[in-house]
Parts: sequence; C-alpha cells; structure tokens
Amino acid sequence: MFDFLRRQSSDTVLRLSESSLFSGLANSDLKTLEGFTHARHYLPGEIIFDQGEEGQALYIVVSGQVIICHPGKSESPIAELGPGSFFGELALLDDAPRSAQARAGAETELAALFRGDFERLMESHARIASRIALQLARNLGQRLRNSVASQIESA
Amino acid sequence: MKSLSPKEYQSGPLVWVGVIAATCLVLFFFQQILWLVVPFLLALIMYYALLPLKQRLVLSGFSHDAAASMVSLAVGVLIVLLLVFSLPLLTAEAASWQQSSMRYLDGGVNLLMATLKQLEDKFSMLARAHLSAELTQGIANFSEHFAQKYLAGALMTIAAWAPSLLLAPFLAFFMLRDGWRFKRFVGQAVPNAFFERTLYLLDQVDRTARQYFVGLLQLTLLDAVCLAAGLWLLGVSAPLALGLVTAVLAWVPYVGSIVGCLLVVLVAATDFPAQPEIAYGAVVLFLVVRLLDDFFFMPLTVGKSLNIHPLLTVLMIFVGGAVAGVPGLMLVLPVLGVAIVFGETLGLVVTDPRLRARHVHARTLRERIAAADL
Repeated sequence: MFDFLRRQSSDTVLRLSESSLFSGLANSDLKTLEGFTHARHYLPGEIIFDQGEEGQALYIVVSGQVIICHPGKSESPIAELGPGSFFGELALLDDAPRSAQARAGAETELAALFRGDFERLMESHARIASRIALQLARNLGQRLRNSVASQIESA
Repeated sequence: MKSLSPKEYQSGPLVWVGVIAATCLVLFFFQQILWLVVPFLLALIMYYALLPLKQRLVLSGFSHDAAASMVSLAVGVLIVLLLVFSLPLLTAEAASWQQSSMRYLDGGVNLLMATLKQLEDKFSMLARAHLSAELTQGIANFSEHFAQKYLAGALMTIAAWAPSLLLAPFLAFFMLRDGWRFKRFVGQAVPNAFFERTLYLLDQVDRTARQYFVGLLQLTLLDAVCLAAGLWLLGVSAPLALGLVTAVLAWVPYVGSIVGCLLVVLVAATDFPAQPEIAYGAVVLFLVVRLLDDFFFMPLTVGKSLNIHPLLTVLMIFVGGAVAGVPGLMLVLPVLGVAIVFGETLGLVVTDPRLRARHVHARTLRERIAAADL
C-alpha cells in the first residue's frame, strides 16, 4: 500500500556509483545513500540555483549536463559538468551564499543531497557519511591546490 | 536579483494573521476527528521516544525496516507482558476502587470543611452565608447521583475510544519504518524553483516536532521526579505514581495542573486527616514545581523547540481552549509551531519574486517543449 514511499531507482544507484564523491562505497551503501537523496529533473536552460542564494544541497549529475556560470553569462561558462560530477558541495558544510549560478545545459537528472539529510546520514550511517566527507575534503584540497598554483602562475 | 534566505526572512502581519486563523481552523477540524487525532498524537510521542533506539540499531548495521520491526516488537512484547501481569492485579483491586475513591473524596471534603469552618469562625460574613452547609449539601447531592448520571457514559466513552487508541502502536510502527522516506516523497511534489527552500523548512518542521515531543517527555520526567521527591518528603503515600500521574496530567495546560493538584491534595488530606498542614504543604509543593516548570524546565526542554513569544503562547492557549475545549488546550502549541513554519514557507516563497520568476521560466520551458511538434 505504501510502495510509493519505498520506490528506489536501481539506475540512480548505478549512476551514483560513477561519481567520484561516492568512490569507495559498497553497493549496499549506495542503496542506503540513495534513500537520502532527492531525484530532480531539469529542462535545458532551467536554473538549478542562483548566485548569492543560500545553499542547502549538494547536487550530483546523474545524466545530462550542467553549466556553472555567472548570471546572464551562460555562453561563457565557468565549468561544464557531465554525469558523475557534483557541484554545490560547500552547501553541505555551511550556509554561505552560492558563488555562481547553476543551469541545466541539456535535459538533466540530478540527485540532490540536502544538508539536513547529510547531518541525519552522519547520525545514522556514520561510516558512509565519513567516506563522503573524506572525498569532499580531498576535492576541496585539490581545488585549493589548483587555485594556489594558478595564482603563482599569474604572479 | 538576490533571493532572501530563510534566516533573513521576517514574516509580516498578514502571515501572522493567516497562521493564527489556520491554527484555529485546524484545531476546530481536529476536534471533529478527535478519535484519529489522539492516537496519531500518541503515535508521534511513541515515534520520537523510540526513534533514538531505532537509530542506534541502524547504526549497528541493521536496515531501517529491520530496526523498526525489532523496536516495535520489543515494545509490543513489553506492553503485553505489563498487561498480563497487571490485569489480574487490577481486576482483583477493582472492587476496592469505589471504596478507595469515596475514601479519598471524603478526605478532600473533610479538609475543605475544616478550612471553611476555620474561615467562618474568623469572618462572620461567611458564617452568615452558611457556606460550609451549602457546600456540604452540594457535594452530597453530586456524589449521591454521580454513578447514576456519569458512570454509564464514562464506560461507554472508554469502550468507544479503546479501538482507536489501539491504532497508536500501529501508526508508530509505520512512522518508524517509513517516516524517513516521507520527506523525500513530499519533496517530489515541489517544483524545482522552490525545492531547496521548501525542503529546508520541512526539515525545520521535523526538527521542531522532534524537539517538542522529546522536550515534552523530558519535562514530564523532570516534573514527575520533583513531585515524587516532594511528596515522599511530605510522607504522602504512593509518591512516584502520584508524581507521574500529575506530570502526565500537566500535558493539558492549566486544567491538567489544577486536576493534578486536586488529586495530590485529596490523597494528602486522606492520608493525614488530622494534619491539614500536610495538604497545604502539597499545594505549596505543587506551586513550587509549577514555578520551576515555567521558569527553568520549560525553557530547557519544550521552550527550546517552539520559538514563540510568551504572550502569544498564553493567548493561543486561551484561543485553543475556546475553539476546541480540552483537546484544543493540548494541541494548540504543537499546531501553532507547525503552522508558523508553514506560514513562513508560504510567505517566503510567495513574496520572493526571483523564485516565482524561476518557476514561471521553468513552466514556460516545459510548455514550449510540450508544444514543440504541434
């Protein structure tokens, strides 16, 4: 009777496993994680979030393409993300404003991991959450190194 | 254009009027389906009380379904065992209940009469009014016809309520098993533009409800311990049971506290018929615990969850009582807490032109795609 609450997409689980954020998670962990994510569907050109908006969720691209750009400048994007990529990860750490706009470049399926759900995941599945947090830290570290390197190059 | 964050948003007077009107409407509606609301509320209390246990099991490797089943089974077995052991005792004691209740009532009446007599001796105006005689006659009439008038009705009410109360454990089980999936299901119905904002506020509703019900249980425990300790020091019989019953009665604002206080005074007056100061001591103890409750325990437990102005809280308790009687008194604060969060969500979404523009843009895109080959 309550199957609508229990529906789980095996396709999404498979796609989540392709994301570097979830590398190292077993299939059963991914199934658990999928229960904490929200599936969203966007049309080409649809805004996912705005620059300056308070971030509440991290997004994983399940299929399609996402353009990260400054508002009104989608022709000159900062980054183009495909399946397996993730963005808006700082929203899991604090509620600082989004630094850029995210827009669907094609018909796009996203899995959103909401900050409140991530906190609940830390409470109930600490092992899964710690692995995600580790990958997140690695990703941020890599970005910091790249930023420092580009500053040195420009100097 | 930058959107307002949920923390920056301040509700206007229109939202507040809507919240108060919605609270009154919900309370009125709840009063009509009280047979469903009461088991649902009990199930919510059970759910929030058992949730930490379930999470502990999930953390140790069990699936959500298995953990919910194990916790529910354990609680079910505990209830059955309690019933099995307590029912024979209760049925054996049932015959003496009437005698005991009459004894306690007599104890209370004697205390009242003694107090009135003392007052009549001091104030001639009261003596002339024959206050104690009038009151004795009134109480005698009431107790004489009590069984005849109310007992059959009370038994019928208990029989009618019993099946719906049995719903509570079932509801609690499904909340434990599927509750965590519910937010995800609701999120699917929200348009993309409002998704993050709505989910944030749904999360706030969940946190508010959890803190409220857990806070209520903590408050009950603190009240019960304080009252039991005080009654034990006074020497009143069954202090723990009395403390627990009066703490649970306090779930009904004002009315519950008065009934609880009366109960304690009746027992104290019966236990010590020659020492009215013990009964007065019980009243003082009750007042002290109420003060502790209002100024220390409430802000530490329930008050933390519902960030409502004290004046509005008091006013809404009266409004709740006027709209839906005793159930209204009990339900008004949680309903108001949830209505505030919903009101803020709607206010935030409706008054944000950027979010509305994004929603219209997404709708236009959908319509354009749908009409592409027409």
